Formats: sequence, structure tokens, C-alpha cells
Amino acid sequence: MNQERSAPVRQILGRVKRDEYVGRDAESARLIKHALRSAQQPRGVAAQSGGGLLVLAAPLAGVSEFLRQGYDQLFSRREVAPIYFALPRTGVTAVSAAIEFLNTFLLQYLAYRRDEPALCNLSLTLDDLIQLAPAADLTWIEEVVESYKRHRFGNNDSDLVRFCLTAPDRVPAQHGCFVMFDAVYLSNFADTDVSLASEIIRALTASRFSFTLAGLRREVLAAVERTGANTDTLEILRFETLAEADARELTTSAARRFNVALNDETRDLLCQQLEGSPFLIVALLQAARDKSVSLDSYFSCERLYVDELMGGWLQRYFSALLEQAAPEPEVRAAVIRLLCEAVPEGSRTASFAAWRKRLRLAGPEVAVLLRTLHVQELVNCDGENVDVSGGSEVWKDYLRTRFRLDALREPRALVVADVMAAALKRAPQSVARRYRSAASPRLRELVGQFNSQRVPQALFDYASFSASFTGATDEEVQAGIEEGPELQLPQVFHVSAGVSLSAELQRFGEENSVVARAFEKAGYTDASEVAWLVARLDSKLAADGLLVREWCERLRRLAQQLGFLRTQFWLISNEGFDEDALHVLREFAAYGSSQQQLDLLSARLNERVTPEPSAGAAEEFELVLPMGSDNELLAATAVEQVARRFQFSPEAINQIKTAVVEACINASEHSLSPDRKIYQRFRVENDKLVITIASRGIVPANIQGPPAAGKGLEQERQRDQRRGWGLELIMTLMDEVEFERVDEGTSLRMTKYRRRRS
Amino acid sequence: MLTRAEGKHLGEAIKSNVRSHCVGTTAVVYASDYLNKLTGERIERECKKQLDSGARALVIDFSDTELVNSIGISILLGIIDIAEKSGALVVFSDVNDETVQLFEMLGLTRHVVLAKDEQEAISGLATPPTQSHIIGH
Repeated sequence: MNQERSAPVRQILGRVKRDEYVGRDAESARLIKHALRSAQQPRGVAAQSGGGLLVLAAPLAGVSEFLRQGYDQLFSRREVAPIYFALPRTGVTAVSAAIEFLNTFLLQYLAYRRDEPALCNLSLTLDDLIQLAPAADLTWIEEVVESYKRHRFGNNDSDLVRFCLTAPDRVPAQHGCFVMFDAVYLSNFADTDVSLASEIIRALTASRFSFTLAGLRREVLAAVERTGANTDTLEILRFETLAEADARELTTSAARRFNVALNDETRDLLCQQLEGSPFLIVALLQAARDKSVSLDSYFSCERLYVDELMGGWLQRYFSALLEQAAPEPEVRAAVIRLLCEAVPEGSRTASFAAWRKRLRLAGPEVAVLLRTLHVQELVNCDGENVDVSGGSEVWKDYLRTRFRLDALREPRALVVADVMAAALKRAPQSVARRYRSAASPRLRELVGQFNSQRVPQALFDYASFSASFTGATDEEVQAGIEEGPELQLPQVFHVSAGVSLSAELQRFGEENSVVARAFEKAGYTDASEVAWLVARLDSKLAADGLLVREWCERLRRLAQQLGFLRTQFWLISNEGFDEDALHVLREFAAYGSSQQQLDLLSARLNERVTPEPSAGAAEEFELVLPMGSDNELLAATAVEQVARRFQFSPEAINQIKTAVVEACINASEHSLSPDRKIYQRFRVENDKLVITIASRGIVPANIQGPPAAGKGLEQERQRDQRRGWGLELIMTLMDEVEFERVDEGTSLRMTKYRRRRS
Repeated sequence: MLTRAEGKHLGEAIKSNVRSHCVGTTAVVYASDYLNKLTGERIERECKKQLDSGARALVIDFSDTELVNSIGISILLGIIDIAEKSGALVVFSDVNDETVQLFEMLGLTRHVVLAKDEQEAISGLATPPTQSHIIGH
């Protein structure tokens, strides 16, 4: 969090040190600005102008720590008394929660007024608090305590709850206070006699002072609507899980704090697998600390993950959620079965009636159960239907293990081994998804930015583009495309991932197909409505006619299924299209672009195209070369010097140089590398030079390994596949070659003997 | 989509940056010190241009070329194909030994004549070889 003022921030309620708390700058700025209304506005105005900030948090996004950090910041600023109260996690009554609020409020208010933050962590009676009250506050605090005692021994719980929750309004106007109400566990109070949610919302919205109410987004919004509060005066702050860069920073920071060994690869894996959730990331790192486990390989990460899922913290967390939703073991088992059995394709949604029947419960009971799961975003329930496709991958992993253990009664050892194997297999895929997304513009965002803009038509026409610009530098292309005709892009009003509309597209990855609904030119008429169906083809070589035809047919089927009357297909292939493919594109009146065209288009539409370099990569001290810019020549020069020093023959030196150049090109072309660097190591042993060329990233599907044995170079040429010779050339030029998939990328180990072995 | 003519018009603004000259109906095109995708494509463009202008033979001179990569070689194969379709001969001149070795590995030498230098290539084209593809090697 940024701090606008330079006063040091004391760690009072925050569980993370100020300088270790990562991200949330924008959210923090809004919270502080909002809080200071209480200090800056004329007293009494706040209630009329509305001072509410609703923080709508995604599950596991870390909103409680965010509020605690906000508390520490406000306390240190000395402009308004901050009050932070979190509803208890374990079930208590509405009355006891309200009493605890009153006590917390008075304690924190006095801590602020006396500037003694340590008071916040004490447990004091109301009489103790009176003793601590400064003279200016003594009277009203005594009155509050007296009134409390009267209400406490009365018979009306609602009155008592209301009294406690409205106590902050008794703070003298000249002092003010800012209540941050953490209602993440509001659902624990859904069945209490007094509607705590309604009382909280009424008390806060009627207050003279500005306030924040934070909680799970589905629950808080629904509660506000049920209460009938005036939402016009409420501001909304959406609190999501961390963005990628922040998640990485948090992971690094927390690992340092817990003294857990981590590397860039495992850091990225954790961020991806735990979906940027600060809650889960910190929990897993804490578990690593507790078990003295290093997280420096995918294997160690996944082993810990599975341990935690089967019997550790993750298991306890999700079990608690399930128990809250379904306290009875039999019902819980039935819920797990329902959630798991519905997972296969095409059966993700079941009716409310089906749930009732399967659970053998009355309607209201099922409604409560589903509401709990819905609030936690583990299912999507609209009252009629229940969609079980929601929830994080961690939740789904948990469910699957529970299902196999509890419902299918499979042996625990078998389940552990299977989950571990699945996690290990999934790890590189999970990271690959992130790299694909980072290495190229996101199609959804790109298409969403069309907005009727005019762009060079050549960017959508690979035939003319390649005819005009093959061999041209980027600058020349930039200048050249401006000369040609323009294409007016449609105004896109809705974009969705192809996978959300077609199960068939799922195997090609979520980020590789897009369906955009749009209008062409002016006017919103049937005639001008068009659907753009966009697909990115995963191919290293120029896409051929067969592949393009498959895609065009696939998109046509999809268009028919969805009832689109007018369509425009747009295919993107990294290396463009061959002649046959261009014929097919013309046959379907489809656009075709290479990655270069896409990058140019993306730049024009103000899209991010440059892969984000990984933090800290530039500090590595190895022979590391950036990819591209003919930098393979630098590698060749370096290895030449090394080989010459060890008296390799000129012929061998040249072979080594060529092999290194090919390896570098392979690394650059075949990986969606996050850091765009090539790591090289040259090691001289007794009679040989061992060269390792490694890169982080992923390998496209069509070049997952070395060529099949016996397949000659000439044969390849005859297949007219004139790319992809690099690896086989290396194998011919070097004495030993080992192609290795490492945790997160590829490593090519090449050996050249000074005297070639027979 | 753009017509081919429009595409050509756009391309005219781009200079190939490849040195070349003609001796009669033979075009001599000079490869740069490093033959890779970019420089290979430039040579390809220049060769196409020369063939379109009526060249009956192409000499690609490698006297400056120290290093060649596989992408560059794949582009050379493309040039050979184009020349074959146009009925033109292709001669590679002044290719260093290491590069010749690579060409052999990748099957280029079956489809192209090698000459010691440009002079030999041009004179060799005047009297086409009968027994060997390799002139002076």
C-alpha cells in the first residue's frame, strides 16, 4: 500500500509488516480517502451525503488483512479514529457478536484517543474502559456503559444488538470515527434470531460518520438489498484476488518472511495454481515453514500441496466450509457426491428440485445449504438451477479427493498417489497457460478494443502482408502498411471465450478462441450485426490447408449451433499460412494473420504486446542472452573462444558454433518464454566441451521432442517442411545431445569431444 | 483482402538492402555475413525480383558469409525451387568449407552448383557442367 503521508505506520492490527504487505495500492488509496471524509467533512453532513464504502470481496482475496492494514495506516495518520471489527469465525449469537463489537469499538477508540495502540490487543471490562477514558470523552462513554447495562438486562435482544451497533454514533462530532466492519463471516449469523446483517447495515447507513462494510461480494450485496438501504449513497470497491505481478511479489515476500526456499519457476507455479489468492499463497508458505520444506521444484511444491489437501490446512479450511453448509455428515456426503458427479461435461447444472430430492431435505434447508455454497462461490445458484462449475481449482481438487475417499471408499494411498500424479502433470500446463497468455496479446481484450477503429487491411490479410513485407524490418513494415487500404473494425459489444460456448474448443485452451458479437459500421440493425469467431492456431510452421480447413469447419459448426446469421472468421497462426491454407481462407472469406500482424494490430489498438519480464531475472549472473536481435551470434562468438582455448579443431569449432546458434534459435522460437532469455553454460571437462542451453517457457505441441529416429533431413525436405531442422542438425554436428524438459522450460545439453569417439 | 497488385505496391517502398548486379542474363546476389531468416528473406526477395526481370541464372555469392543457420538454409531451398520453376540455374559461389558441409547435410548440394568464386560461377554458367555439379571444389 502507498501512504500519502510520510508518518511511519505502526503495526497494530496488521499481521503482515507494513513493508511486506504487497499490492492493493489503489484499493488502499480509496479506503483512506473514504475514511478521511469523517475527519474532513463538517460534522453531521456525513449521514446526509452518505459515507458508506462497500468492499465487495472475492473469496480468499485477503480483505481482512487489507482492512487491518488500513486500520494501522489510519491510526498513524491521527486524523480520524479507526475502528476495525471482524465478525467472529466460529458461531456465536448475534447478541454476543454485537456486545463484542461494542467492546472493540470502545477499546480501539480509547487506544486512538490516548495514542496507545497496545490497548487494542488487551482484554478489558467496560469499567476498565471508563477508567481509561480521557476527560473529554468520559461523559459519553459512561452514558454508553450505563445504557448498555440497562439493555443487557432487558428482554429485547434486538434492542441490545441495535444499541451496541449504533454506539459509534455517540462519539462527539468533533472527534469522529471511522468504522471498518469486516463481515466476511456474516453467513455464520444467517440463522440467528436477530437478523444481524440487517442490523449492521441499518446501523452503519444511519450513522453520522463514514464507514466501510466489507464481506463476500455475493453476500454483502444481497444483504444490502434485503435491508432496503439507500444504495445511492454507497460507494463500491471491488476487491479481487491479486493481479499476477502482485501475486508474484507477495509469494516472494512471504517466502522470505517464512524462510522458505523458492525459485522463479516455483513462485510462478504457486501464483498460477493458487489463482492469485493471498490467503492460499500465504497458507501454503506457512505450511512449508512449519514442515521445513523447501519449495524449489515443482515436485516439492506439489507434494506439499497434496499433503495440505489431504490432511493439512487446505483440507481443514474446505472441510470447515462444507461443515458450515451441511453440518450433518450424511448430508455432507450427499453434497460431495452431487458436486462431484455433476462435474462431467454437459451436466454441470442441476435443478433445485433435483438437489432437494437427492439430499432428502426440505426446501428451506436446501436453500440455506446452497446459499452458503453460493456465497463462497463454490456453486452458482439462481434459486432454480445449481451450476457446480464454480470454485477454484484447489476447491475442485479437494472435492475430488473427498469424493474418492468418502463416497467411493478408495484406499487413501491410491488417492494420494493419483492426486500427486495429477498435480505434477498439471503443473507445467498451468504455468504454460500463463506463459501463453503473457507472451501474446489476449485475444478477448484485443477484440474487445476494436471499437469501430480503422486499421490497415493488410493486418488481416496474410497473403498480401507476406507478399509485401517478407524480409522487411519492423520499421519498414510499420511505414509500409500505412500506404494500403484500411479496414473498419466492427463495434464489439460482447466478447466471450470460445470455450464458454463450445465444449469442443476446450481442448485448445481457454485463451485461444474468442466469439465476439458486434455491429458493423453505423446503426444497430439485423443487417449490420455480425459475429466474429477468432481462433489462434498452435503451430510452429506456417499453417497448412488441412489445419485451416479443420478450423474453418469447426467455427462454421459453432456459428450454426449458436444461430449466428452473419459471421466473420479470423484465424491467427504464428508463422502465417501456406498457399493451400490461403485458398481455404479465401473459400471461407476468412481473415488470416500471423503473429507479427497480430502484434502490429495489438500495438495499434493500444494493447499490451510485450511479455512482462519476470522480476529479478535481470539480476541473474550467468551467461544469459536476451532472445532475438541475432544474439545467437554472441553465443557463437563466446563458445568459439572457449573451444579455441581448449584446442578444438577449426572444423569442430565451426560445428559447435552452428549447433549453439541452432540451439539459441530453437530456444527463441519454440518457447513462450516469460523472461525472453537464453541461459547458457559452457563446461570444459577432460576431453569434452559440454554446452547447456536452457530457456524458460513451453514447447508447442508439434515439437515436443527430438525427431523420430531414422527420419532423414532429406526426407524432411521432401515433406516440404523446411523449418524445424535445428534439433536434428545439432544432433548431426555434436557428439551427444540430450533434450530435456525441465520443470518449467527446456534444456538442451550438447557435448563435443575433442577427439571424436568412434 | 488486398489484391496482389496492391500488395506489390506496398512492397515497393521497402528496400531489400541486398547487393546485386547483372552480367548478361545472370544475376549475382551477395549474401551477408550471417545468413538467417531476415537476410535470407532479403536474398529471396532480390532473387525473385531478378527472375521477374528476366534473369536466366542466379549466382548467390557467399564470400562475406561466415555463418549460416537452418532457417537461412530453408530459405535458400525456397529460392532453388523458385528458380527451378522459372527454368533458371542457381550457382552458389565462394562458400566456405563449413558451410558447404552444412549444405551437404541438408541436401542443398544436390540441387545447386557450387563454384569457387563469382568469376568461375559466371564462366561456368556460360559452359554448363556436364559431369559434376561442383565447379572448382
